[in-house]
Amino acid sequence: MNGSMILATIGVVLGATGTYILLPHSRGDVKSRNNYILGGVLAGLGLIGFLLLLTPPDVSPNPAPADFSSLGMMITGACFYLFAAGAIGTAVMTVTSRNPVYSALWFTGVIVSTAGLFLLIDAQFLAAGTVIVYAGAIIVTFLFVIMLAQMEGKAVYDRAAKTPGRAVFTSFLLLWSLMYCLAVVPGSHRPPTAGANDPLEDRLRRGRELAEYYRGKGPIETKLVLERALRPTSSLFFDGDHQKPKPNVAGLGEALYADHLLTVEMAGAILFAALIAAVLIANPKPLRPVDAPTEA
Amino acid sequence: MTIWVLIGILIKILVIVGITQGTVAYLILVERKIAAWAQDRIGPNRCGRTLGVPFALIQPLADGAKMLLKEDVIPKYVTKPLYLLAPWIAIVTAMIGFAVVPFGPTGPEQIIDFQLAPNVDIGILYVLAVGSLAVYGVILAGWASNNKYSFIGGLRSSAQLISYEIPLGLSILGMVLIAGSLDLSKIINWQTQKFYGIPCWGVLAQPLGFILFFTSAFAETNRLPFDLPESEQELVGGFHTEYSAMKFGMFFLGEYLHVITVSFITVILFFGGWDFPYLTYPEQTAWYWTILKVAVITIKVMIAIIFIMWIRWTLPRFRYDQLMDLAWKSMIPLALINLVATAAIVQLVRTYWS
Repeated sequence: MNGSMILATIGVVLGATGTYILLPHSRGDVKSRNNYILGGVLAGLGLIGFLLLLTPPDVSPNPAPADFSSLGMMITGACFYLFAAGAIGTAVMTVTSRNPVYSALWFTGVIVSTAGLFLLIDAQFLAAGTVIVYAGAIIVTFLFVIMLAQMEGKAVYDRAAKTPGRAVFTSFLLLWSLMYCLAVVPGSHRPPTAGANDPLEDRLRRGRELAEYYRGKGPIETKLVLERALRPTSSLFFDGDHQKPKPNVAGLGEALYADHLLTVEMAGAILFAALIAAVLIANPKPLRPVDAPTEA
Repeated sequence: MTIWVLIGILIKILVIVGITQGTVAYLILVERKIAAWAQDRIGPNRCGRTLGVPFALIQPLADGAKMLLKEDVIPKYVTKPLYLLAPWIAIVTAMIGFAVVPFGPTGPEQIIDFQLAPNVDIGILYVLAVGSLAVYGVILAGWASNNKYSFIGGLRSSAQLISYEIPLGLSILGMVLIAGSLDLSKIINWQTQKFYGIPCWGVLAQPLGFILFFTSAFAETNRLPFDLPESEQELVGGFHTEYSAMKFGMFFLGEYLHVITVSFITVILFFGGWDFPYLTYPEQTAWYWTILKVAVITIKVMIAIIFIMWIRWTLPRFRYDQLMDLAWKSMIPLALINLVATAAIVQLVRTYWS
């Protein structure tokens, strides 16, 4: 455990304590002013500890060409901070808004900012997919439900935290483990390029071997298979030589159907099961025949 | 170097915004003239006659001035921030779709790249993503008006928009599979090749896909067989009942911008973009060829727009249940069949004949 992890732990503990004090406990009683001040100070200290850990990310785009000027870098950096701040700010507003309609709308902001971040790391398909699926379909459905239900969000039980201790413990434990992972696994934001010299045929064969293994056939070399499965996704950016960028969508398709074939098929099976279940539920059941009038 | 690229992009944005806004103003005039022609009326013909301007060409200016100068009423009972935000969403989502639309030939060898964001791999997906955000303008306008008629109108319109997004996306996929790219300029380049002397335009390669796309595009732009959002004769306004003056105008601006985008996408996906058979080829990069190509695509887009307006004054409006049945019971299954058939054919052709 190095110094930064200790700092992170202290920050997480401070933040957790502050949040616990700040959270509205049962019945949503108004708390004393001192409680708010104490909680705010502790949470703020935790946030400062967390901010100290951050290093400004290197936001240069992937294969930096030789004549890459500083203006382009500046724009990319500005966009990164804009989208990052937008994502965090709208996320906070999503959680804190009283009116559920506003919450859903701020959530749209989170999705759009995330899509912007995806664009910055050249994941165009992911960006468009996120916007279509989440902002275009799911949140609109949320909005339908919220608007039709006419929730006001002013009920006491909505403002009170039922189990503040457990909630704070779980969420901050999650935050701490996330930071631990980030500290232990060094590396940049760039996608790993381990598969750059890994031809497509090899990756396809690897996917088939994995599938065979899970079907109980093939050689039971658990260690070998798992080791292969845990290898990083092959590069989306390069195809053999590092000079030629690869079309984004083609690279994504190749990675999905060569490196993650099993995952894709499993997801497909699960979705198919869900589809059948939906049809089953939505199918109109035959109406019960009207009961014969009982004897009067 | 980069700073000049940046300035060039900014100039291009300004030019495109200016041209599209100006076009929108005149589209309203064109629509009124076509309406008059279809119904055997005269239509706008005297605005500006005293100034010596023929054909009522300053009618759009008069319309715009009317929109701007009318009293801007904001009812007390609306949810103000969202009420004011909704028209902006309608316009902005319609505007940013133009970022990936190629207005002419693109490529590094061209003097001017007729595209704001060249080399976007996912061009058509981006247009769909932005289009899917347009529903927020409708649903927020309906809800923020705090009025049951507007709210139900908003729900009705957004249900329509969401439903027709599915056949819209599915019908494009066949063309994407054939051309092998989501990039709009690559799709155009695919269509420039000849198959036994016949140009491989999308409408010939994917006739069913074209019909489905064009129909759902009508629904997405709220044009007439599908204009349930307004349905001015039966329901007197939907989600925009509470909007007045320029805020009302902004919804219509957004709608007409959508018409332009949809016409561009139709021409690019199914009518070869800037391609004119036996005249233009992707290899021609001289400036006069560029001008010719831009002229070809512009004329094609204008024909598409006029066709869309012509349809408006030809077909009667759907009932709401018919509209939903059309999307879910006919168009989505047909689009799926089209997609599966295209995928099978592409796979077989690639395997056995190449």
